[in-house]
Amino acid sequence: MKQATMTCRPLLISLLLLAAGPGLAGSADPGSQPVREDELTVLLSMPGDPQRGQESYRLCRGCHKADGSGKAEAEYPQLAGQHARVLLKQMADVRAGRRDSPKMNPFIEHGEVSSQELADIAAFLENLPVPSAIGLGDGRQLELGKHLYLRDCASCHGPNGEGDGQRFYPRVAGQHYPYLYRETLESRDRGRRNANPEMVRVLKHYVDSDIAAVSDYMARLRPAKP
Amino acid sequence: MGLRHYPSMLGVTLLAVLSLPAVLTSEAGSTAGPDIARGQALAGGECAGCHGADGNSEIPTFPKLAGQHVVYLLKELNDYNQAHRASDIMQPMAASLSEQDKLDIAHFYARQKPAPGTVAKPELLALGKQVYLEGNSKNGVPSCDGCHDEDGAGSGKFPRVAGQHPEYLLEELQRYASGKRSHGTRVMRTVAERLTPEEAEAVSQYMASLE
Ligand code: HEC
Ligand code: HEC
Ligand code: HEC
Ligand code: HEC
Repeated sequence: MKQATMTCRPLLISLLLLAAGPGLAGSADPGSQPVREDELTVLLSMPGDPQRGQESYRLCRGCHKADGSGKAEAEYPQLAGQHARVLLKQMADVRAGRRDSPKMNPFIEHGEVSSQELADIAAFLENLPVPSAIGLGDGRQLELGKHLYLRDCASCHGPNGEGDGQRFYPRVAGQHYPYLYRETLESRDRGRRNANPEMVRVLKHYVDSDIAAVSDYMARLRPAKP
Repeated sequence: MGLRHYPSMLGVTLLAVLSLPAVLTSEAGSTAGPDIARGQALAGGECAGCHGADGNSEIPTFPKLAGQHVVYLLKELNDYNQAHRASDIMQPMAASLSEQDKLDIAHFYARQKPAPGTVAKPELLALGKQVYLEGNSKNGVPSCDGCHDEDGAGSGKFPRVAGQHPEYLLEELQRYASGKRSHGTRVMRTVAERLTPEEAEAVSQYMASLE
């Protein structure tokens, strides 16, 4: 939440850039992936109210559950404790058609939830405790998983899986294994269209069992409380 | 003593109004506060024959209105009025009501105590409970408790479904799925499209069993 309000100034500048013409905008993101300045710009500039967010989140509870824990078998991601900026980017991507989510789409369309409601929901979710009961893998390849993670993933997702909201790197610690596995696989195979290009390059050399190993490792990570 | 004295309150109210869905803001017309006694008199004359004197209709295809939420009732009455929700019976009824009538009647019904529902097929309750509380992730059916609450009480624009007639509930689910009830939000149409006919029947029984 605090982060979101602090970004007001660069956002204003990017809004100006946007107004000046599409060619100028889009290169301001510090991360390696260009983020289009559209609804996301608006979302990040809106202070979110967790209390209102709890009420608006009603629409989402049928899949992501009241405590944000999602559902491992269903590949409904765990959202509690995720960085608000990450949540907002993913929501904006889905609404703008940059990330496919046929199951969720009708529930998060523009006619169903306003931008303000999404900002509120993100503020609410960010402050929820990460649930401890999480879908895990078989635990047989954790050494390999650790090796791969620290070599290829930790630079962005953090040594303890904590992610980095400023740069839109998702927190992966405590996420359900089946979801992590599917998203990593989809990112490698270009099914997830908004995947980070640098991450896709790293993943090119991964076989499915590497992905299983690193996903199992990520799901079990628990960052120290900030 | 004008609004001028409360600029911050006005700001808050404006914000609140802006963040409400369009459905609500269109309500903010020229009506005064609700008059429950007037609502009761109006409902007693025009609506009681079908919906029951206290909103607990006895006829399975006429919905119970007792304990239903004001926001939802007003939205549905306006939708009938503007022919957004098709019903040969309800459209002329709703068209005859003024904004103030609707407000008074809605507040009257919202305050009535809902009578328990009647379960016709108890053998379906187990499946119905599973659908209601777990959804069906294979087909992307969210659990119903997410929006309608575990006890079926709902809130605001999410209708109360607890104790409603199962025949009416099933009919509405079928109407959403077939696109006949297509007004308003897309969420319920999506939910109903994803339910199998067996699940729809079972969950209707389960909702009727809730209190
Ligand atoms: C019908 C079930 C369903 C509903 C309802 C639903 N979601 Fe989702 N959500 C999903 C699924 C499935 C995914 C994983 C993306 C995909 O489809 O591959 C997802 C992914 C997400 C993500 C991305 C998480 C990440 O780590 O990248 C966010 C954020 C999200 N949902 C927020 C919401 C919000 C906010 C609502 C309510 C307005 C909502 N969802 C309603 C099923 C649902
Ligand atoms: C260059 C930085 C970078 C590296 C290296 C990287 N990632 Fe990512 N990863 C990202 C970003 C950015 C996203 C979010 C993409 C988006 O915005 O949709 C992401 C998303 C993900 C997601 C989806 C999370 C969610 O909540 O939806 C998974 C899973 C993931 N990465 C796994 C990995 C794994 C495994 C590795 C190492 C093999 C890795 N990443 C390496 C930047 C990186
Ligand atoms: C002749 C019988 C009849 C009368 C009289 C009648 N209704 Fe109805 N009402 C129905 C039926 C049948 C439905 C369900 C129609 C549908 O499927 O849309 C209904 C539906 C409704 C609904 C929607 C309920 C829901 O859960 O979605 C409201 C609100 C309503 N009526 C209010 C009223 C009011 C107010 C009056 C009096 C001004 C009234 N009705 C008079 C038969 C009647
Ligand atoms: C994402 C939120 C959401 C979920 C999940 C949801 N509903 Fe609904 N439901 C609504 C809304 C909003 C309405 C009112 C829509 C309208 O105006 O037509 C509604 C209306 C209904 C109605 C009509 C009630 C009446 O009085 O006419 C029934 C029946 C119903 N829902 C059943 C279900 C069942 C069964 C499930 C689970 C399988 C479910 N709903 C899941 C949001 C939801």
